Amino acid sequence: MTTGTGATIEVHSISKWYGNVVAVNDVSFEVYPGVTGILGPNGAGKTTLLSMMCGLLRPSQGGVRVLGEEVIGNVGLYSRVGLMLEHDALYPFMTGRSFVQLAAKLQGVKDPDAVDRAIDAVNLLDAADRPTGTYSRGMRQRIRLAATIVHDPEVLVLDEPLNGTDPRQRVEFADFVGQMSAAGRTVLISSHILEEVEALADRILLVVSGKLAASGNHRAIREKLDERPFVVRLMASKQREMAAALVGLESVESVRLEDGAIEVTTRNLADLQRSAPRLARDIGSRLYRIEPLDDSLESVFSYVVQR
Amino acid sequence: MISALFLLALRQSASPRRLLLLGAISLFPVGLTYLLVRLGEADQSGTVEAGLEGLVISLVLPLVTMVLASGAFGNEVEDRTLSLLTTKPVPRWSLALAKLMGTIAVAGPIMVAVSVVVTALPPERDGGVILAAAVGSAVGVIVYASVFTWAGLVTTRALAFGLVYVLLWEALITTFLSGTRYLSVRSYIIGIMHGMEGSPFNGDLAIGYTTAIMGSVAVTVLFFALAVRRLTRMDVP
Repeated sequence: MTTGTGATIEVHSISKWYGNVVAVNDVSFEVYPGVTGILGPNGAGKTTLLSMMCGLLRPSQGGVRVLGEEVIGNVGLYSRVGLMLEHDALYPFMTGRSFVQLAAKLQGVKDPDAVDRAIDAVNLLDAADRPTGTYSRGMRQRIRLAATIVHDPEVLVLDEPLNGTDPRQRVEFADFVGQMSAAGRTVLISSHILEEVEALADRILLVVSGKLAASGNHRAIREKLDERPFVVRLMASKQREMAAALVGLESVESVRLEDGAIEVTTRNLADLQRSAPRLARDIGSRLYRIEPLDDSLESVFSYVVQR
Repeated sequence: MISALFLLALRQSASPRRLLLLGAISLFPVGLTYLLVRLGEADQSGTVEAGLEGLVISLVLPLVTMVLASGAFGNEVEDRTLSLLTTKPVPRWSLALAKLMGTIAVAGPIMVAVSVVVTALPPERDGGVILAAAVGSAVGVIVYASVFTWAGLVTTRALAFGLVYVLLWEALITTFLSGTRYLSVRSYIIGIMHGMEGSPFNGDLAIGYTTAIMGSVAVTVLFFALAVRRLTRMDVP
């Protein structure tokens, strides 16, 4: 079921603060059937946002509706929603199968094959009868996912689901998410890795410092991230000649000599990386090093927010 | 549904390490009583009854129940597994009831057994006294379980809270300020034991039989309701 706008999740101006600390600040958006990614650096407020969307945290302000219903105090809604939070919570004394069976019982699942089907969907049948305390991180993620989908939810909310998984498991997960999307389910995935979200989601919500910084398809988000200027440090044997040559590049915005190195500001990192060795060769200089100074994800996100 | 929750609560409460710890605590009054009996100190004069009240009812019973009940939800909060339960279509009262029952199912038999053994060890012990001790202990476990289950939901320091409450309020204040006994679980237990069997138990600390029963029910229901309310309104980590 969706609302009049077709949205399965509606978030209206929600905020969450703890004393003077604002974790989420006046965020509004809608989520539709298909795969939506919430992207943001660690500590951006993604988990807080997801927890409020699933009724685990009460918003300090604003509200959330899922499948047209209020979330807070609506226990019955959980039979239509599956939530897997980031923290690695399991009962270590249970086997994988008994953990999924518990979830099935609490969800009121009647189908006796549902448990095996869910475990099979995450490709863990072979290890299903081992205690979860003996599982690797990736296996724990997968058994938690099996417990989350055992009741075939209409809305699936997954917080950093690919943490601890290997490349093969990531491919399997992408297939699984694709199947859910094709079946008309709503899948909401959070991650701090752009490439992860890009590969999975049709639409991305960019969250930074508790605010919704941008939203759109992955191309729109990628363009926003790519148009920021990068600061790159170069070390060459002929500093001044190299700096003068770099100024002539179209992609270079500014050049300055700093602490025996050249700091270059550019909006086209790839062009600089291609051109710098050629320039060095032309002026007879040796190029020792090219390193981006602020290539961390946090700096990229911060730039988007400041704009 | 509730049976699955109860079995989970039981499995969590009855971990081997915890049972070992609680067994050691519980054996202390049993050993002490046995020693008194062997030395000929325990007779009809009431030595054992005083020991039972002083050690079992005032200290061991609340301590054992506290360790189990405060961890019923407290450990789920600490391990961040509570969201596994609260994101299921399960009424909050059934979650709280399952945890309460899990604590009672483990602490109850332990404490009833300790009370029965301590009361039955002296020679020529009357069956009524043993029964009164068993019933009083069972009631005590239920009431304390309700209080400490709630405490495990409202504070991460439920054990510290419990210790202060047991030692300061139950053991000290209600002993010397008679008016406060109407708000004391220990007085309810002694009141029930005294009401059932009369003189062998310390009548000085006892409140009326009916009052003790009503007080026990009221405190159990009140703290159970508070636990359900807390589960409904709390932010789940």
